[in-house]
Amino acid sequence: MSLVAGPGRGGTGSGQLPDELGLVVQKHVAYIQSLDTRRDELESHLTEHLRISGIYWGLTALHLLGQPAALPPEEVIEFVLSCLHDNGGFGAAPGHDAHMLYTVSAVQILAMVDDFVELEMRVPNGKMKIARYIADLQQPNGTFAGDEWGETDTRFLYGALNALSLLNLLPPQRKDEPPLINVTAATDHVKACQNFDGGFGVAPGAESHAGQIFTCLGALSITGELDSFLGEEGKDRLGAWLSERQLDDSGGFNGRPMKLVDVCYAWWVGSSLAMIGKMDWIDKKKLTEFILRCQDPEEGGIADRPGDMVDVFHTHFAIAGLSLIGYPGVMLVDPA
Amino acid sequence: MGKYSQDPQWADITPLPTDEGGPNPLAAIAYSDEYAETMSYLRAVMAADEKSERVLALTEDLIDMNPAHYTVWLYRAECLFAVGGATEQERQKSLRQELEWLNDTALDHQKNYQIWHHRMLVVDKLGSVEGEQEFVEQMFDKDAKNYHVWSYRQWMVRRFDLWEKGELEFTEGLIGRDVRNNSAWNHRWFVVNGREGSEGVKDKGVRTREVEFAMQAIGRAPGNQCGWNYLRGVARKGGMGLGELKVFVGQFAGLEGGEVRSSHALDLMAEILAEEEGGREEAGRALDMLKEKYDPIRRNYWEYRKVMLGLPAAGAAA
Ligand SMILES: [Zn+2]
Repeated sequence: MSLVAGPGRGGTGSGQLPDELGLVVQKHVAYIQSLDTRRDELESHLTEHLRISGIYWGLTALHLLGQPAALPPEEVIEFVLSCLHDNGGFGAAPGHDAHMLYTVSAVQILAMVDDFVELEMRVPNGKMKIARYIADLQQPNGTFAGDEWGETDTRFLYGALNALSLLNLLPPQRKDEPPLINVTAATDHVKACQNFDGGFGVAPGAESHAGQIFTCLGALSITGELDSFLGEEGKDRLGAWLSERQLDDSGGFNGRPMKLVDVCYAWWVGSSLAMIGKMDWIDKKKLTEFILRCQDPEEGGIADRPGDMVDVFHTHFAIAGLSLIGYPGVMLVDPA
Repeated sequence: MGKYSQDPQWADITPLPTDEGGPNPLAAIAYSDEYAETMSYLRAVMAADEKSERVLALTEDLIDMNPAHYTVWLYRAECLFAVGGATEQERQKSLRQELEWLNDTALDHQKNYQIWHHRMLVVDKLGSVEGEQEFVEQMFDKDAKNYHVWSYRQWMVRRFDLWEKGELEFTEGLIGRDVRNNSAWNHRWFVVNGREGSEGVKDKGVRTREVEFAMQAIGRAPGNQCGWNYLRGVARKGGMGLGELKVFVGQFAGLEGGEVRSSHALDLMAEILAEEEGGREEAGRALDMLKEKYDPIRRNYWEYRKVMLGLPAAGAAA
């Protein structure tokens, strides 16, 4: 799948108001399918490192739109397994080194497509192998490295917990077996990333950022400590910060104070609000209108903001955002 | 015929083309010929575990074409540390050269994070932070909110113990230039409170200094949420009663017919009033103003705040 942006732009074309137009479901499905046939583009080596993630985004979007088979499942599985290394990790594409981010994407895809059936058939004990790759990347301080070079951030930590939980190999799911990872250390690290404004950053001390808030809440939610750590007061404070991300003029969200709005924050902010039960603190109607304005109503695909090039990343997060606010015709998604 | 296949210096290497793709259409990747050729030489030298000057040049070429390819960065770092020179002096020199090259690359690819990770490895190895502050500031001239650069800056402060070496003044400068730069505000909090074992704003002198700093910034831009968030944070962590801020906040949130100059002030005023004996009704009025006039997009939030004060809800808003 090519991840090159375009060809279309959000918000162009038809003079209809987004409200009347609605979500152009069939066009988005066709757009995602078309990414696979645009491989001839010269520049695609620039985005190939994201390929397995791109397939995850495209596939999830198709699931949410109720058309999971629009990318042939056999081909998807074939591609994903061709990225698997002997060490149990996945690279972004065949021939690329294994990395935590792509391993997480691979696990998410395999869970979604056939619940690991094909993997287990082809790779003896495949699930455990992947889980061990992930577990080995945990550092003594609880964080997870992205690769053997040890770059760590909360995205990797959340990804690790998320993947292990999908594999059903997270220590709390396997009480009778020796734990693969130190859940307490991981959770403590997430807690240390909380800031004075109630948000979370990429590492202790780093600025609050909606994407990082999502990963931290997701991690706490998987380990079952979201409620006890935040408490009602913490949720109120965080909810206030998150709801302040919606801007009155456009209805869209930004990811940090004083930054531009971007459609992908419909997901990062929205799912964070959903996890702490504060989804009602935003104006859903205005958000819906903003998301619909980011579509290319003619060629399909959704851009980060009206007027920009569409891409599969933003297409996915925009549709997931619509799902959170219960947009008709989009399946419900689990916020964590 | 490509650049490498025609170069006698590379004649000893048999390139390893990728077998990416094959019959699976999802897997096939379109490369430019030049990129595909260069990658095939990298694969060959990696397979032979060659670490040499020419491999450094090869990775440089590849990074120019695709700075997001993490494998290339990893191999470049390995290579750099392996061939860095025989003497300490030579090693230092090669690391310095690497930084110079990285400067241009970072300025060209501002969204890329591998560059910053690589830089961290190099500067850590070098053991000197000389010139780094200046370079970071050059990056901030282009984008003062670049998240990777801020992470790098914090790493520098910790690694080289820069807590009291001009960091506070640095944040003052950036906030002076753009009082709405939330990243700079966050860094200030980090510098003041982030050091292991330091009291931060729990120390009375520090707290007073930071409260004054925030108040001045608010005076310059009352509608700016960064200053207000910071002030709240200082009060909270420093153990101040919010009531101590009432006179200041009142200047921006005049309730009795006065001028409202900031919704953030009104928000804080509602909290201050709610803590006062008999202040609940007035707090409710402040929340109503926010809901109806100053921040209606969050009407449900303001309504929630009223309910938490035990005030009657005005019927659920949409
Ligand atoms: Zn985005």
